[in-house]
Amino acid sequence: MRAAALLLFFVGCVSAQGRLTRSILVKPSEDRQAYVRELKSKARAKNLAYAQQWLRLGHWEKSWTGSYESQADGENFFLSKDGKRHPELELDATLDGFFSELQPFDAKAPENKPLQHPRCQFPARFMWLSQQLAIDQARLPPADCSRFEDFKKSVAAESATMVFSSYYLNNPASAFGHTFLRLNKKNDEGISEDRRRLLDYGIEFSADPDTTFAPLYAIKGLIGAFPGTFRKLPYYFKVRQYNDFESRDLWEYKLKLTPAQLDVLVAHTWELGSTFFDYFYLTENCSYHLLGLVEVAAGVDLLDHVHWPVIPADAIKTMFEHDGFVEKITYRPSARTLFRYRIHDFDGDERTAVADLSEDPKTKLAMADGKERIRVIDAAQDLIDIRFAKELAKDDRESEGARRKQLLLERRAEILSQSEDLTPPVPWSKMPQLGHASRRLSIGAGADFNTPEYGRMTAGRWVSVGARIALHDLADPSDGYPELAQLEFLPMRARYDFATNDFMLEKLDLVHVLSLTSQDRFDRHTSFEFRVGSERIIDEGCNCYAGHLEMGAGLAFGTYGDRLTVFGLVHTHIWVGKDMDGIAHAPIRAGLGPGGGLRIRILPELISLTTGEWVWLPWQTGFHTWNVGTTLRWQFVRMLALDVDARLQNKTASGVVSTMLYF
Amino acid sequence: MKTFIMGVAVLALATIAGESKPAMAQGGPAYGAAGCGLGSIVFGNKPGFMQVFAATTNASFYSQTFGITSGTSNCADTGGGAPAAAAFIQTNREALAKDISRGNGETIKNLATLSGCADSTAVGVALQKNFKAIFPSATVSNTMVSSSVLTIMREDKSLACTRLI
Repeated sequence: MRAAALLLFFVGCVSAQGRLTRSILVKPSEDRQAYVRELKSKARAKNLAYAQQWLRLGHWEKSWTGSYESQADGENFFLSKDGKRHPELELDATLDGFFSELQPFDAKAPENKPLQHPRCQFPARFMWLSQQLAIDQARLPPADCSRFEDFKKSVAAESATMVFSSYYLNNPASAFGHTFLRLNKKNDEGISEDRRRLLDYGIEFSADPDTTFAPLYAIKGLIGAFPGTFRKLPYYFKVRQYNDFESRDLWEYKLKLTPAQLDVLVAHTWELGSTFFDYFYLTENCSYHLLGLVEVAAGVDLLDHVHWPVIPADAIKTMFEHDGFVEKITYRPSARTLFRYRIHDFDGDERTAVADLSEDPKTKLAMADGKERIRVIDAAQDLIDIRFAKELAKDDRESEGARRKQLLLERRAEILSQSEDLTPPVPWSKMPQLGHASRRLSIGAGADFNTPEYGRMTAGRWVSVGARIALHDLADPSDGYPELAQLEFLPMRARYDFATNDFMLEKLDLVHVLSLTSQDRFDRHTSFEFRVGSERIIDEGCNCYAGHLEMGAGLAFGTYGDRLTVFGLVHTHIWVGKDMDGIAHAPIRAGLGPGGGLRIRILPELISLTTGEWVWLPWQTGFHTWNVGTTLRWQFVRMLALDVDARLQNKTASGVVSTMLYF
Repeated sequence: MKTFIMGVAVLALATIAGESKPAMAQGGPAYGAAGCGLGSIVFGNKPGFMQVFAATTNASFYSQTFGITSGTSNCADTGGGAPAAAAFIQTNREALAKDISRGNGETIKNLATLSGCADSTAVGVALQKNFKAIFPSATVSNTMVSSSVLTIMREDKSLACTRLI
């Protein structure tokens, strides 16, 4: 984090700091000082500065050298100027602060915005220390906590829910998911849930990027050069953003918290609101600090259960480490899910009518009955919303989407009959906590059967080892994951050949994504593949290790609810390797050709995937290359899968049986 | 899809490849002209592939202030009453328009709660009947929509929307 701060110095300052609370504290009166001294010695006697809860409240982490450092990076989060590294100094300063009065300041001046009385700025610290030290409230100086009180009143929390936003179609990277917290409002008037849920507040932690220049954005995100802050947003923002604009289903996990714990949650949310944390995409990200917040309130270990990289779906799994901590799970379907359900029992004529209406809202409808017309018009409205989601969300009022939607809505409103609520079945098997763990290790035994013309041995036996940092491929067990999306981050495979005593790397990719979308009349999304990394090539042109970039696009067709999927893609490749005999004998190769595959989900835990590809290598030795392979993977217990893989590549046939460990 | 591939490619080759559109002006908060419309708040003015990045890395580009202590936007109040109802209508405009044409839906029910109306079904019926008055064309502004909706709810005494008075 220090390195990141140093870098910040070079790339520009991100967050303007106002004045610090500690700069306006007035030394307490003599009798208060005496009382504070008493409290401090009591705290020392109880070693409170290193109590787990105090360390959580200040987000201090112990480093390998035994020193402490807080992950909070906002200067004003500390009342002691050395508080970031010294929990004990911060505890003393906090007690001093509670009993201090403030110098007068102009509350309206922007630079004074961060200023609050320490008791108001740190209500969770105050609650905890009051309890631990039995602080005599009568001896405290007056403090105006109206801002915190307003905040508390506005969220009016009765319970809290962790919300997980799932996969975003056609964007496999989103398979990592997103998490945020919802504070559920008190409901004194007995209003049913469907009439008030949108009015709750969401609490999220996210980065505030200061650049849209992509390379800089990527680098700054990886090294933590963006500040991340906590925000409060009405839940309806999040619903519109995720359910509608991005068509992502939301999973809601209601947490078991006592009223006292909930008070701590709200108070600590407020405390965190006055600071920022350097945002690291892979570690201290949206999920990490939310878990830290929940941990403070619930007094359970959550952060100890997450590992690098911190994946939002793993954050959800973490909450299931504690029996009964998740009280209730609800599902909020996306626009796309609702549309799919709306048309699931439509006949051919109705489907045609929906398609026609979405193209021309004035299409004459054959059905005379009002109810039937409502069915097709409502579905066509949903389709327009999905298809034109972007321009509608951007409020582009002159757009084609807005025009068609207006006509369809007018047409619907003429039928003065109310549509019924739609409740699609909950896809329980897709709950993120049911997914296999995000990291994978594999070990296998295999054999080659080849003709020796490329200088390799024949009928050799070998052992293969594989590892992957994250997350999922098309043959992995499908529960808890999008059915037809693959996202692999740093997958690698190596083998040890018994005959030659060689240990060699076969493949190391940075990222490999494959996104398939089944074609139908309402969804024409193309399917695509992208891979960047490196691999060993063994053919007429080379027996060498090369960097590899691959892009492909095509179509997929599925049936039986995506149990059976066929796909065809056209791929382009570029390989660069120093021992390669490529284009005009240069160490670079380029290829183009068709590929395809068949995926059968026999059971969610038993999947077969067959793929093949032919690549034309113009003006290169060998002229072309090809491979086919088939994999059958069976998850026989939660953490383990058995994988049988057979492959034919140029003139080599190979087979390997592996065990895969998800952890 | 192309934008996605671009996005990942740039992310992967960030240190090497320089190909990318220069950052577009972030566009100051459009509050006022666009009211609390979703477009002015969530999406801002940014190139397409940055949206993919944002979705992937969970960054946000809110152009209004939603901090916890730093003063929350006017568009973020859900406490009830006319200003909160107006912000709700503007932000939920697309979903609400659809629900009004159908005379029922989640946004109508929540709006009825926010406005203190006795019966959300009756609100749905009343708004559906007035669809053309609220949405005379596709181009009507968000603020116009919210003021029409609130007027209808306020003036129809049978709805008893007590928090709007």
